[in-house]
Amino acid sequence: MGRRGSASSSSSLESSNYPALSSRSSLYQHNRDLSTDLRLGLSIATSSQGNPSTPSVSESDWPPIKPFLKETLAAEENECNSATFFVKVYMEGIPIGRKLDLLAHDGYHNLIRTLDHMFNTTIIWAEMDGEHSEQYHVLTYEDKEGDWLMVGDVPWEMFLSSVRRLKITRADI
Amino acid sequence: MLRMASSFPEEVLEHVFSFIYDDKDRNAISMVCKSWYEIERWCRRRIFVGNCYAVSPPMVIRRFPEVRSVELKGKPHFADFNLVPEGWGGYVYPWIAAMATAYPWLEEIRLKRMVVTDEALELIAKSFKNFKVLVLSSCEGFSTDGLAAIAANCRNLKELDLRESEVDDLSGHWLSHFPDSYTSLVSLNISCLGSEVSFSALERLVGRCPNLRTLRLNRAVPLDRLANILCRAPQLVELGTGTYSAELQPDVFSSLAGAFSGCKELRSLSGFWDAVPGYLPAIYPICPSLTSLNLSYATIRSTDLTKLVSQCQSLQRLWVLDYIEDIGLEALAAFCKDLRELRVFPSEPFAQEPNVSLTEQGLVSVSEGCPKLHSVLYFCRQMTNDALATIARNRPNMTRFRLCIIEPRAPDYITLQPLDDGFGAIVEHCKDLQRLSMAGLLTDRVFEHIGNHAKKLEMLSVAFAGDSDLGLHHVLSGCENLRKLEIRDCPFGDKALLVNAAKLETMRSLWMSSCSVSFGACKLLGQKIPRLNVEVMDERGPPGSRPESCPVEKLYIYRTVAGPRFDMPGFVWTMDEDSALRLS
Repeated sequence: MGRRGSASSSSSLESSNYPALSSRSSLYQHNRDLSTDLRLGLSIATSSQGNPSTPSVSESDWPPIKPFLKETLAAEENECNSATFFVKVYMEGIPIGRKLDLLAHDGYHNLIRTLDHMFNTTIIWAEMDGEHSEQYHVLTYEDKEGDWLMVGDVPWEMFLSSVRRLKITRADI
Repeated sequence: MLRMASSFPEEVLEHVFSFIYDDKDRNAISMVCKSWYEIERWCRRRIFVGNCYAVSPPMVIRRFPEVRSVELKGKPHFADFNLVPEGWGGYVYPWIAAMATAYPWLEEIRLKRMVVTDEALELIAKSFKNFKVLVLSSCEGFSTDGLAAIAANCRNLKELDLRESEVDDLSGHWLSHFPDSYTSLVSLNISCLGSEVSFSALERLVGRCPNLRTLRLNRAVPLDRLANILCRAPQLVELGTGTYSAELQPDVFSSLAGAFSGCKELRSLSGFWDAVPGYLPAIYPICPSLTSLNLSYATIRSTDLTKLVSQCQSLQRLWVLDYIEDIGLEALAAFCKDLRELRVFPSEPFAQEPNVSLTEQGLVSVSEGCPKLHSVLYFCRQMTNDALATIARNRPNMTRFRLCIIEPRAPDYITLQPLDDGFGAIVEHCKDLQRLSMAGLLTDRVFEHIGNHAKKLEMLSVAFAGDSDLGLHHVLSGCENLRKLEIRDCPFGDKALLVNAAKLETMRSLWMSSCSVSFGACKLLGQKIPRLNVEVMDERGPPGSRPESCPVEKLYIYRTVAGPRFDMPGFVWTMDEDSALRLS
C-alpha cells in the first residue's frame, strides 16, 4: 500500500513526479490560477461580493448544525415572533385542561381534527352529519359574555374574536 | 511455533477468541496464520462497516458466516449539514436482503446516515426471529408503518432507537402494535417523532417492561403525563422528557417532583422542549446524581441554567444552548469537576449580532476548572489565539476539539491576526487529539502545524481556510493516522491530491466541496488508483461537458474493495477507466 513519508517542504509539491501514478496525464495543467476559477463563476476563496471576509454561504449549510436542532430553534423563534392565541380546552371528567393555539389552525375542520387527536375521540360539531351516539363528544365554547355555545355556528373569524375557552362533553344530551 | 499453533484444538482457540471483542484485535488475530484466519472468521459475531460502499454484502457474508450484530454507516458526515444532495445513496435494503438469508440469527442492526425504507424494516421484522436491537441514527426514508412492523413482529426486541432520524410520521398508532404479551423493552428513543403516540398505550408498555432503562419521549408528550410514566418506571436510568412546559400548577408540580424523586437510578436527562423555569426544581432532587444532561432544546436563560448546573456535581456530559453564557460556564467550571464533554450550540445561528454573552472566555473557564474535559464542541462568535493557547495548555488531555465561529474567516478579534497559532497550540499540546474542527481565519501555516504535530489525528474538518495546495499537502503528508478528511470552501486544488494519492488508500474517505480540484485530476486519480472510488458530484451536468481544468462541485473519494457502485443518482459520476472513456 505504500504510505508517503512526511515531507513538509514545498519542493516535493512542485515536482511533477507523482509516485503513485505511473503515467502523467497531458491534460493536467501545472499552473492554474485562481483567476481561471473566478472566470468560471465559482465561489471559492476570495468572494467577489465586496467584503472579502464574508463569502456567500447559504443558510441551509452554514453554520454546521443538524437539521433537527435547526428546525427546533426556528420553531422557537417563530413562536416568539408570530401571533398566537392559546385557549384552554377541558374534557369532561378531567380537571386539568390542555392548551391549544387557535391561530395555528385555519378553520373549524383543522381545529376539530386536532382536538379529535388530542383527546382520542370523535367530536360532533355543527357541520357534522351522521348519527350521534354515546361514544362521541360535543364541543362547546364559552364566549365573552360567559355563555356556552356550540362550536361551528358562526364564521371562524367571529368565533376567534369571541371564544374564551373550550369544553368537550359527552354527547348524551 | 508452527507445531504449537496446529496442535491447539480449534475449539480451544475459538473459546479464547470469544473473549476478544475489539475489531482491531480481531483483525490482528486473523492475520497470524491461515488457520487462525479460518477459526476467527467463523466465530466473529460483530462487524462494523464504516462506509457501506467500502465492501459489498456478499463479500462480508462470504468471510463472516455467523454474524449476530452489524453496524453500517452510509452518507458522508457533511450530509448532516445539507451538503450531500438528496438521492446520493446509502441504501440499506441490499444489505438487509442479503442478510435475511445469510444471517437468520441476526440480533442487532445499527445504521447511521443510511436510507432505510419501510420494505427494509418489514424485511427485518419477518426475517430475524431473535432480533433484539435496532438503532437508526440520522437515517431517513421510512415511515411509522415500518415501525409498526417492527413493533408487531419482533418478540425479543430490546432496543428501538430512532435518534435524529427523519421519519415520515403518519400517526402515533404504531406504538400500539407492541402486543400485550411483549415485555422485553430495555431502550426506546422516539424523540425525533412528531406525532402523538397513544398515552395509554405508552403507559401500559412502560408499565409491563420491567427491564426498561432508557426512555426518550418525543415533544408531543405533555408535561402533565410525565409523572404517570415515571411512576411506572422508577428503575429508569435515562430519560428524555417531552415538552417541559405547562401552566404552573402546584398539584402537577408536586406529582412531577415526587415521580422524579422516586427514580433513584436516573443518571441521564434530555428533552426539555420549551422548558419553563418554574418546573425545573422538580428535577433538583436527582441533579446531584446526574452524569449526562442534554439541554439543547431548552430555551431557558443563564440564571436558571446556572442554578441548574450548579447542582449537578456528578455531571460528565453537558449539551446546552449558548443561553448558558460565560457566567453559566464559570459555574459549570466551579461545580462540575467531573465534566468530560461539553457541547454549546447557537440559539440564533443566523443572527448577525450576538444575542447572548457567550465568548471565548466561557470555554477558557471550563478548560481551567474541569480537569477531565476532553471533548468539546463550541459555537461562538469570537475567539483569540491567546484563548486557544490557554485552553491547549490547560487541557493537554483533549481528544476531540471542534470549534465553530459563526462568521466564516473571522480573525482573532483583538489582534486581527489569523488563528493559526491558536490551533497550532492545540495540536502541539494535545498529543492525543483524535478529532479536530477548525474555525476562523486560517492560513497555510495552521496546516503546517497540524502536519507536524497532530500525529494521532483521525478526523479533520476544514471550512473556509488555507491559501494554497500547500495547506492540504501538509495534512496529507504529515498526519499519519488520518482516516477522515472533510473540506469545504478551501482553495485546494489538484497538486496536493495527486502528490499524496497513495495516502488516500490509507484513509476511509476524503470529502471536498467548493474547492478547486479539476475534473482532469479526478479522472487521473480514478483511473490510476483502482481501490479508490473517486466520485464526482455535480448538479450542473456531466463534468465531461466542461473543460478538464474546470473544478468539480463536490468530490468524495473513499477506499473500497467492492469496485464502483451502481446505485448512484444522475448527478454522481465515478471516475475509473471505463467512465473516463464514456465521459471524454
